[in-house]
Amino acid sequence: MSNEVINVLITGAAGQIAYSLIFNVCKGDMFGADQRVKLHLLDIPLMVDSLKGVVMEIQDGAYPLVADIVITADVKEAFTDVHYAILVGAMPRREGMERAELLKANAAIFKVQGKALAEHSNKNVKVLVVGNPANTNALIAMVSANGVPKENFTCLTRLDQNRAKSQIALKAGVNVKDVHNVIIWGNHSSTQYPDYRCGYINLASGKTPIGTAIKDEKWLQGDFISTVQKRGAAVIAARKLSSAASAAKAITDHMHDWVLGTAEGEYVSMGVISDGSYGTSEGLIFSFPVKCANGKYTIVQGLPIDDFSKNLIKTTNDELVSEKTTALQFLSE
Amino acid sequence: MEQALLRINNISGQLTGKCPFKAGGGVEAGKCPFKGHGVEAGKCPYRAGQHLDQSKAWSLVNVTPTVTTNSVTPIKVLVTGAAGQIAYSLMFMIASGQMFGPYQPVILHLLDIPKMADALKGVVMELQDCSYPLLHSVVATTDVQTAFIHINVAILVGAFPRGPGMQRKDLLKVNVSIFKEQGEALNKYASRGVKVLVVGNPANTNALTALVKASDLPPSNFSALTRLDQNRAQSMISEKVGVNVDSVRNVIIWGNHSQTQVPDVNHGYILNYPNRGLIEPIQTSVNDDKWLNEQFIPLVQNRGATVIAARKLSSAASAANAIVGHVRDWLLGTKDGEHVSMAVYSDGSYNVPKGLIFSFPVTCRNGEWSIVQGLKINSSTQQKIDATTKELQEEKETAMSFLN
Repeated sequence: MSNEVINVLITGAAGQIAYSLIFNVCKGDMFGADQRVKLHLLDIPLMVDSLKGVVMEIQDGAYPLVADIVITADVKEAFTDVHYAILVGAMPRREGMERAELLKANAAIFKVQGKALAEHSNKNVKVLVVGNPANTNALIAMVSANGVPKENFTCLTRLDQNRAKSQIALKAGVNVKDVHNVIIWGNHSSTQYPDYRCGYINLASGKTPIGTAIKDEKWLQGDFISTVQKRGAAVIAARKLSSAASAAKAITDHMHDWVLGTAEGEYVSMGVISDGSYGTSEGLIFSFPVKCANGKYTIVQGLPIDDFSKNLIKTTNDELVSEKTTALQFLSE
Repeated sequence: MEQALLRINNISGQLTGKCPFKAGGGVEAGKCPFKGHGVEAGKCPYRAGQHLDQSKAWSLVNVTPTVTTNSVTPIKVLVTGAAGQIAYSLMFMIASGQMFGPYQPVILHLLDIPKMADALKGVVMELQDCSYPLLHSVVATTDVQTAFIHINVAILVGAFPRGPGMQRKDLLKVNVSIFKEQGEALNKYASRGVKVLVVGNPANTNALTALVKASDLPPSNFSALTRLDQNRAQSMISEKVGVNVDSVRNVIIWGNHSQTQVPDVNHGYILNYPNRGLIEPIQTSVNDDKWLNEQFIPLVQNRGATVIAARKLSSAASAANAIVGHVRDWLLGTKDGEHVSMAVYSDGSYNVPKGLIFSFPVTCRNGEWSIVQGLKINSSTQQKIDATTKELQEEKETAMSFLN
């Protein structure tokens, strides 16, 4: 076991996603079976008692990898010396709330957290924003975190990718582990673009492009996309609760691959700062296909983009530009 | 749900009465959903007991590192109460490989009551959305027969919860009827080597009820969960001494998973204490017999309530973690020098009469547990063991009276 302990912050720590997520971290699923962690758990003052209960349960799990736990409602304490920050907590959408209001409320939260990252966390802190609107919240944190590299800010689209892979697997009648390189482009919202075209399936006959294995372009360009886009709502309708466990798994996957690297030939989807690749506007947090090695990601270049895809990429791009404009306005107020 | 059902790949044999995999339930002449068996119109040629899966759960588990798990036979695990909170933590732990290791694919059978069918569908969606390579397939159902077919491991979480004003006797009665049915289902449909862990309370007596009704299956394959109590006891000791929980070993829970449980540290030790490379008996490390005798036990007994008071929800994740530990150690074996607490079929050890499901310290090897023998029990602990024995005997009598 490595003796060096890493400090991992989880915000919204008393909530449902965190309840699934924390135990994945404790088990070693996120950073590997040898990596000891110190957990920083942040939530609002009202939830500190609940956090105490979670700590009791972590202790009752006797996890060898948990070196220490800090629970707090204080931002400075939470962000101090953090190496990895998973920002799950955000202002939830209330009934009747307009998107602009939601953006404004969250801009306030992520501005504070961006500053805290710059002022208190480790200089190379890696950040994953989950709380919605994830892309724009990540952007706000990034512009508020003077001195923290822009490449260190990401948002979660891995859940959408996992959902997309699963739909392909179900349609093709294979195990999900045999489906590779399905991409999510853009915003983690209803404009996201699940893209099958560069993906393949390991069939008994060999590596087969998805479009060949599933000869149903209508479905691939139609129901496949809308099912993935609406999956979150479908789970809520069935469970009457949101998809906490699958979100936690996606967070675990995103961090694991970012920190420990992706397998040869594999790409994964991450919301990262756009550099203009594939016709996107620069300076957005945009979900791209990436490869990871040595703790860094690189956007996969040179993938073919047809007109159908161009349009969908443009739509989600434009939505993000508009969110960015609104958010920056709030920040300057 | 139907789509999930169709994913069963390795079924052999049929069952009495209706074939659960044929629409309408009857069996058509000449057609059999299971390969290789001819069928006469209306008749199922296989009586219960024939062609039942004979595999032993422990020998199924593949621990050999392998590049692809495609050729490894999946192990079938049933979780009841599958739409509930403990299952919500548990099934993702199982699917991720925590229970059987990273080289063993799993088929999950999920059972709950019809009222929970929608919620169950939602959980299946989430399992799919997790994209777990080790999850071979999922069978989600409200039908007992479908749930129990050929399972290698049964984790019976679902039970009737205690309502306000409900007496213990009422609780026992309604749960006896549930676990009677499940014991019969295990007997009829499960793999002959199925390992059973009962979690739903009253766990010990529910396990006994199931065992009694599963008369073809060895009693040694039935257990109840006291691992959570053991983990909690270790946690309390670690807090008192000021060490990592993982350093605390061989704490025992004797008896019933109830207020009469007996946490016993007299045979436990702390690793790397007071310094690296040393081992010290817990009693010495704690150095506070008064605390051990007066406060420690109530702390362990009340931990569940304490977590609920703080979270406003029950301790689902730590329960799930204890379940994973119990099954993993049972099938994959305990480490040298270590024992764990499992409520198992008593054989007369430690003055506990035969025929109860009673929590003992056990070691596990080749899929079998053995009660650790020869531990010296002081008189105070023996008194408590006798008290929990008495409670279990009374529960047994009540349960058996409801069965007849």
